[in-house]
Amino acid sequence: MNKPIEIAIEDIDLGTPAALSDSTVTVHIDGQAVEVPAGTSVMRAASLAGTQIPKLCATDSLDAFGSCRLCLVEIEGRKGTPASCTTPCQEGMSVKTQTPRLDKLRKGVMELYISDHPLDCLTCSANGDCELQDMAGVVGLRSVRYEEGSNHLEAGKDNSNPYFSFDASKCIVCSRCVRACSEVQGTFALTIAARGFESKVSPSEENAFLDSECVSCGACVQACPTATLQEKQVIDLGVPTRKVKTTCAYCGVGCSFVAELRGDELVRMVPDKQGGANAGHSCVKGRFAWGYATHSDRITRPLVRETTDSEWREVDWPEAIAFAADRFKAIQQQHGVDALGGITSSRCTNEEVYVVQKMVRAALRTNNVDTCARVCHSPTGYGLKQTFGTSAGTQDFASVQQADAIMVIGANPTDAHPVFGSRMKRRLREGAKLIVIDPRSIDLVQSPHIKATEHLQLQPGTNVAVVNALAHVIATEGWIDEAFVQERCDVASFNAWRRFITLAENSPENLAEISGVPAEMIRSAAATYAKAGNGAIYYGLGVTEHSQGSTMVMAMANLAMATGNIGRNGVGVNPLRGQNNVQGACDMGSFPHEFSGYRHVSDETVREQFTALWGVDLREEPGMRIPNMLDAAVSGQFRGMYIQGEDIAQSDPNSQHVADALSAMDCVVVQDLFLNETSKFAHVFLPGTSFLEKDGTFTNAERRINRVRPVVPPASGLAEWEVTCALSKAMGYSMDYANASEIMDEIAALTPTFAGVSFDLLDELGSIQWPCNEQAPEGTPIMHAERFVRGEGQFITTPYVPTDERSTRKFPLLLTTGRILSQYNVGAQTRRTNNTVWHAEDILEIHEADAELRGVSDGDWIEVASRAGSTRMRAHISDDIPAGVVYTTFHHPVSGTNVITTDNSDWATNCPEYKVTAVEIRPSSAIAVGV
Amino acid sequence: MTLDYNQQHLIKMANQIAGNMPTRENVPAQIVQHMTQFWTPPMRADLKKIAENKAESLSDEVLAALALQD
Repeated sequence: MNKPIEIAIEDIDLGTPAALSDSTVTVHIDGQAVEVPAGTSVMRAASLAGTQIPKLCATDSLDAFGSCRLCLVEIEGRKGTPASCTTPCQEGMSVKTQTPRLDKLRKGVMELYISDHPLDCLTCSANGDCELQDMAGVVGLRSVRYEEGSNHLEAGKDNSNPYFSFDASKCIVCSRCVRACSEVQGTFALTIAARGFESKVSPSEENAFLDSECVSCGACVQACPTATLQEKQVIDLGVPTRKVKTTCAYCGVGCSFVAELRGDELVRMVPDKQGGANAGHSCVKGRFAWGYATHSDRITRPLVRETTDSEWREVDWPEAIAFAADRFKAIQQQHGVDALGGITSSRCTNEEVYVVQKMVRAALRTNNVDTCARVCHSPTGYGLKQTFGTSAGTQDFASVQQADAIMVIGANPTDAHPVFGSRMKRRLREGAKLIVIDPRSIDLVQSPHIKATEHLQLQPGTNVAVVNALAHVIATEGWIDEAFVQERCDVASFNAWRRFITLAENSPENLAEISGVPAEMIRSAAATYAKAGNGAIYYGLGVTEHSQGSTMVMAMANLAMATGNIGRNGVGVNPLRGQNNVQGACDMGSFPHEFSGYRHVSDETVREQFTALWGVDLREEPGMRIPNMLDAAVSGQFRGMYIQGEDIAQSDPNSQHVADALSAMDCVVVQDLFLNETSKFAHVFLPGTSFLEKDGTFTNAERRINRVRPVVPPASGLAEWEVTCALSKAMGYSMDYANASEIMDEIAALTPTFAGVSFDLLDELGSIQWPCNEQAPEGTPIMHAERFVRGEGQFITTPYVPTDERSTRKFPLLLTTGRILSQYNVGAQTRRTNNTVWHAEDILEIHEADAELRGVSDGDWIEVASRAGSTRMRAHISDDIPAGVVYTTFHHPVSGTNVITTDNSDWATNCPEYKVTAVEIRPSSAIAVGV
Repeated sequence: MTLDYNQQHLIKMANQIAGNMPTRENVPAQIVQHMTQFWTPPMRADLKKIAENKAESLSDEVLAALALQD
């Protein structure tokens, strides 16, 4: 049975954050005894005892501040009326929260606040959702005695931010927004300018919000107790009337949100304080950039066409399904079952992904199924399985709070995983050391109150050389955790690895010229990581999207095992997954060689389990990966494809080759929200559902399975899994589910790591980190704690093999690509939101020396040419990148960044080498388009 | 024998696998294991045809691996 979509949401603000002490104290609040952890504030203790002490500057997401003087209490044996938010509980303390003296003081405080506040409650956009209004009521304020004098009632509004407004006339200068920006987000964009009566909130020294350093995470809006900082949607539509808890569909952090609606109209998305991944924080995408779901470009009726040069024809669902099935059957008859295949999407739910791979294996009768993780984290799957035994990050996100040294490799958390980036920055401000391994100076290298201990600014393509050099230092300096290795790892493999890694060829001195990183910096970074106590590795696509992506993942795993940094809080090897459900899509059996739970199709025992439940014989040989399918299409052997929520014509490398492959197919079926670059080659378009319409689960980068609950009905009338099941049935294989919960039940029945997972348990626990089974009925936050999944940790030697893609006289620069905060992947979602105010086009970052050499000035249009193709974009001269390297994003189809990326790929997984492309840059007029 | 795109890519993949095996001990056997795990039978068969007609395009270790599959 599906649960009702609206569930009770706990939103009591306890005033101050929880204390983490293991010891407790007992205090008496208005005569009621309450036991709390030592260090708990009187305010929080009172709240836990059921007494809400009036407050304005306090909120439980921020450290106590003690400025509003509304939360005063009386404490037996103490003089005066201390602020309850800043007063910690002590054993035996007796507190009174309500006395005539306190009433009078609080009323006086409120009277002063209201004397300088517009008295427009009835017409205020925050009417009914305003803590100032609430507190006036709580203290019983009925009139203001002060005559009109100097005030801030005429202070202006700042509407520059596309998503929220700042109305200075309503500001009570409680500093909650400033503290949220500092403590929660870690950007420090907001300050209180001036003193006394002149005090005011100031973005980046009195800039407009849009022009300031503000990253629009929404933490300030969330923290504001009045209508000062408020979502424009609330101002336009009114205060929400109902709530649905769900999960963001952008990056792999997988933030929990409360969707707040009026009727069926979404008013705002509020980060969920109970969210296991985000603990009440958000970024500009999840918080604000969801308007694409109702964008006029949405296709909500199925489309078909005979040929890709004819017009689309709108049809009903049965006709579209029959059209696709007839085409697929014809291909099967003429070219065999292996002429078809499918791609699952990391933007879809586990349940939607599962039914697609099931349809491919059971209805299309082929293992030609792959997923978009092929082009991002497939090397993670390979590398971590070889070394640890399974394809997953080892930690929960909270683990970073215990890390002493954090190594960030080929990731840019503040832009690509911003909510986790904020959590990491908090730990760095507390004193953890930071090693950044990246060709670019990402924000983490130096930002307010953060400076990397070491920035290893390596040449693109030399990751393995650098990590081998780090390991060489650790092994030769005697920093190996011998006890851990002996107890937890395969010793023979370790000994072989030690022999390899201590060879002089792996020394920092030997590899310095190749990597561009000075040997002394490598030695220093090795000491930082190995000797810190808890060393944690976080990595992204700058690790995986290389010709040695899999080798690099194994090199990092070796490093963690050699130093004993596995199996407890504060350590680990952690992939920062690009999309919301990369982990889940991989878990669900999307790879052509594996069933769900990463079990090879050749495993007879496993295959029999699937055969028994699915009632169909299954193939024992691996199917084709995405690049294999595309190659085979160009050769005429592969003729039809089902593409779920992925725009491969824009996102996959060497766009011309992708276009050639898609053009060669007889039937391309695209299931998506919008017509896109890939649908230009499609014969059938099946409208998909936005995350607001989905019912299912996403699994984030920390293996956390979160519920995705339908906020509004599917615009197309059908859930995506229903469409897949209909096509499967039309192909002759029925998949009958009453709802998404039943699909999860089947996943659990067939997948050992999901054995205990159900929608009921998810509703009960909020979220679950797999493995969830008899041994771990509520999930597993930290993996490999007692033993590795594979038993003993396996060391694997990782010789550095240079990529074939090298700079040449014709293409002397190395291009690397990445993501920016405000945009997301190919931009299908974010380009259809106001996020374009921050990033309306892809820009090429180029070092001043390289620009000057080519006569390129900042803002100039340029041609970027590689051996694969060429494109045009504007240049930005930047010192974030070294000479010889250029950088751009791939969010806009018009710039077509992947026109120039090549078909080089990881040796083990075929993950494209997006991060290294040899290019030449010239002013736009000086080069012809096409190479 | 003129090689099409698919065949050129298979050659590149095979040589790359050979060059990236973790150890240089028994590389052909490692290649066989990798291809059995991740390559489709038609891909393996196509590579075999390439070896028969265009052996010079493949590394000695790949050729030895294909011989092991006989």
